[in-house]
Amino acid sequence: MDLVLIQLLNGVQYGLLIFLAASGLTLVFGIMGVINLSHGSFYMLGAYGALTLTQFTGDIFLSLALGVPLAFLFGVIIEWLFIRHLYDRDHLQQVLLTFALILIFNEAQKLLWGSYPHSVPVPGYLQGGVKISGLLTYPYYRIAVAAFCVALALAMMFVIQKTRIGRIIRAGESNREMVEALGIDSRLLFRFVFAAGVALAATAGIVASPLESVYPGIGEPVLIISFVVVVIGGIGSIKGAFVGALLIGVADALGKVYFPAFSSSVVYALMAAVLIARPGGLFGRAA
Amino acid sequence: MLARPRPIVIVILLALLAYAIALPFFGGAFALKFAARVMITGIFVISLDLLIGVTGLVSFGHALYFGLGAYSLYFISPASAAANGFLAIPFAMLLAGIVALIVGSVVVLTKGFYFIMVTLAFGQMGFSLFFDTKIAGGTDGAYINVRPIFSIGSQQLLNFSNRTAFFYFCLAALVLSYIFLLWLVRTPFGRVLQGIKHNEARMSALGFNTYAYKLASYVIAGAMAGFAGVLFAAIDGYVAPELLGWRESGLAIMMVVLGGAGTLYGPLLGAILYSMVEETLKSSSELTAIFSLVMNGATAKWLGGIVANSWSMALGFFLIAAVLAAPKGIAGFIEKFASEAKRSKAREIKPLLETRERAKAMQLEVENLMRAFGGLVAVNGVSVKFPPNKVHGIIGPNGAGKTTFINVLSGALKPTQGSIRLESEEIGGKKPHAVARRGLGRSYQRTNVLLPFTARENCALAAQAQFPSPFRFSNKWRRNEEEQAVEDALKAAGIAPERADMKASNLSHGEQRQLEIAMLIASGAKLLLLDEPLAGMGPEETGRVTALLRELAADHTIVLIEHDMDAIFAAADTLTVLVEGKLLAHGTPEEIRNNMAVREAYLGEWGQEGKS
Repeated sequence: MDLVLIQLLNGVQYGLLIFLAASGLTLVFGIMGVINLSHGSFYMLGAYGALTLTQFTGDIFLSLALGVPLAFLFGVIIEWLFIRHLYDRDHLQQVLLTFALILIFNEAQKLLWGSYPHSVPVPGYLQGGVKISGLLTYPYYRIAVAAFCVALALAMMFVIQKTRIGRIIRAGESNREMVEALGIDSRLLFRFVFAAGVALAATAGIVASPLESVYPGIGEPVLIISFVVVVIGGIGSIKGAFVGALLIGVADALGKVYFPAFSSSVVYALMAAVLIARPGGLFGRAA
Repeated sequence: MLARPRPIVIVILLALLAYAIALPFFGGAFALKFAARVMITGIFVISLDLLIGVTGLVSFGHALYFGLGAYSLYFISPASAAANGFLAIPFAMLLAGIVALIVGSVVVLTKGFYFIMVTLAFGQMGFSLFFDTKIAGGTDGAYINVRPIFSIGSQQLLNFSNRTAFFYFCLAALVLSYIFLLWLVRTPFGRVLQGIKHNEARMSALGFNTYAYKLASYVIAGAMAGFAGVLFAAIDGYVAPELLGWRESGLAIMMVVLGGAGTLYGPLLGAILYSMVEETLKSSSELTAIFSLVMNGATAKWLGGIVANSWSMALGFFLIAAVLAAPKGIAGFIEKFASEAKRSKAREIKPLLETRERAKAMQLEVENLMRAFGGLVAVNGVSVKFPPNKVHGIIGPNGAGKTTFINVLSGALKPTQGSIRLESEEIGGKKPHAVARRGLGRSYQRTNVLLPFTARENCALAAQAQFPSPFRFSNKWRRNEEEQAVEDALKAAGIAPERADMKASNLSHGEQRQLEIAMLIASGAKLLLLDEPLAGMGPEETGRVTALLRELAADHTIVLIEHDMDAIFAAADTLTVLVEGKLLAHGTPEEIRNNMAVREAYLGEWGQEGKS
């Protein structure tokens, strides 16, 4: 029973982390209409960036404070160099260009950090964990990550519901042409949204880096799972991404307990079930 | 529509074929193996082009079937003996085809972005099945110790251990696969796939079960990818989970786009170009040789070393440059320089009767029909009868629920309540293609023809829907009836013969609307639902189309929504007035004109204008 409890806690925490990555993906597609396959690469760059920054700062949270603005800036540059050429093009060309970006980022990662796995230290003050029962403890750092993700999710909901930029984003979700008709400079909006997406993926990579080792290709499973979350939640819906990510996290955790051999298939089966029942996702417009 | 390849393309392909046939006489073992790999990849990518370029389904999980094909050679091979190729190949195609049928039945429900992501996810599901479990060596992959042999009884016909034999087998497989697809896309079945790519809703409204067509295309492409996979496993005698992974799927898409999607030969050239670029970028000596053409030897050597060391980054930049500079791929260049395709010859047709023969059309009866969107009731308890061989107008102010009404009748929306009877059959809640099959055709408010196809091709697709055998691979069956139906429809709708072979995108707005009606006639529909057929037409065109509608009523029942009051009062036998989703009045134009309720609610302004 304790094992199930621990797995459930891990599942929720994993789901919250995936929400960060998936929310970026769903925003970029919902507002800009761009399929960004290189989204996982930004998660990877976040994790490796955390590795390097923590060597200087010594604390993952300082690295986070430094890394997120850097990631945002990086997103602005990538948008300006590559992504802005994609707005009028079809899905196929978006897939091709962002896939090519993956090749470039993976090679850059190898040149800068090599092919060996690394680890990022958990800060001293968060060593240890909460005693659950007997020998089992739940690490403080995981609790901190979960709390951080929840806080960020609430902050995002606030921004989207209550601020001007949030109103623009919501308008863009429901009708992309409308935003332009309202006289908003879509180039600036797109640049901001893409950079925010990159920052979200990198944030997930940074806070996740002390949880597991940092290795080449760390972003790829995150990309795939984010896709699954976006499909389940409905394209463009932050709320959908949140619910979808938690569902996936819990399904994955329970799958590991009850069907260890086929644990990774459980999330895909869940996705197929959602699609058959609601082809547009749980919170999406009808497909 | 995809036609026979242009002469220039045939010349290029024949030159490549000649080169391949000669290769074993001068190429070394490495060249043969490389060429075999490229040819197998070629089969894989043209099968993907059937999905992407022909049917419009961007699959990001096609490597699932390629990998399954490869693994099936492992499954069927005894531990230390050869598998029989006569068993291995059908087994691989069957396995890939069955999995494609199961996966396809789910993924084909989705469209666009969802389709890309869902196929990606299913591909990864297949990958993790082999990666996370111990099946066939798990993460490490598995070796196939002995290459397959083709034998009947004890008679050995072909042995894949022989490099040259294997090479020629792959070449033959590629040529046959290409010819097969070239044939497939030009059959009635393939033409429907092309129609689905450009406008699925239209194809469905014509009576084609687009789900079944897309699924069939998905299964055929999957089985072909399985065929490529089983050959691929025979190259090195090694299979690994990565073969099913998303990178393989992604690379295949790269090659399709690089070559030019939707042309079949383009992706083939894309596979060749991609493999050659990759091979060159991996080799520092070849790079040095290329660089030394424009710089001194030492710098060239230094730069060649650097690029070869990070070849996949260089490949990434190459792909980005290619997609930005040539969005239509290699085929785009070839098509641009090649001359305009010749127009197809007009065939001799029987002369048509000037006036249509009378034939009994269908009756439509609606009872207590309701359609709600959440709390909003767009159609509210409408009961009305449309007798056959008449022109029935539906009028009402904006937002009266007219288009929703038509959408429910044609099956695009499900009724919340009530019944719809075509003759005596209940059609309420049936899918659009099922409704269309029963003889109800519709047109749309916005012109909805297949723009890249000629007017004649548009009508031919519609005519094909008339003879209810969905998966047709023969061009000959019913050909005369269909051609007759097409010519009849073009003529009846008033499309000039010299315009019939022009792309619909080059026709005028009025002609496109006429083409839409021509498609409905060609489809054999007996009841036509027309959503504002006169919108955007000038007075002369309006007069022509109104006369056409009157003429068509000889053997059709016509129900149309129209805003042009003068035209509809002149053309219609009955008028139905909808206001806020409710039936306000139904009667002859004269009765409606004199109906006080209608005049108050709606016609006030027009009534005065009309009288003046």
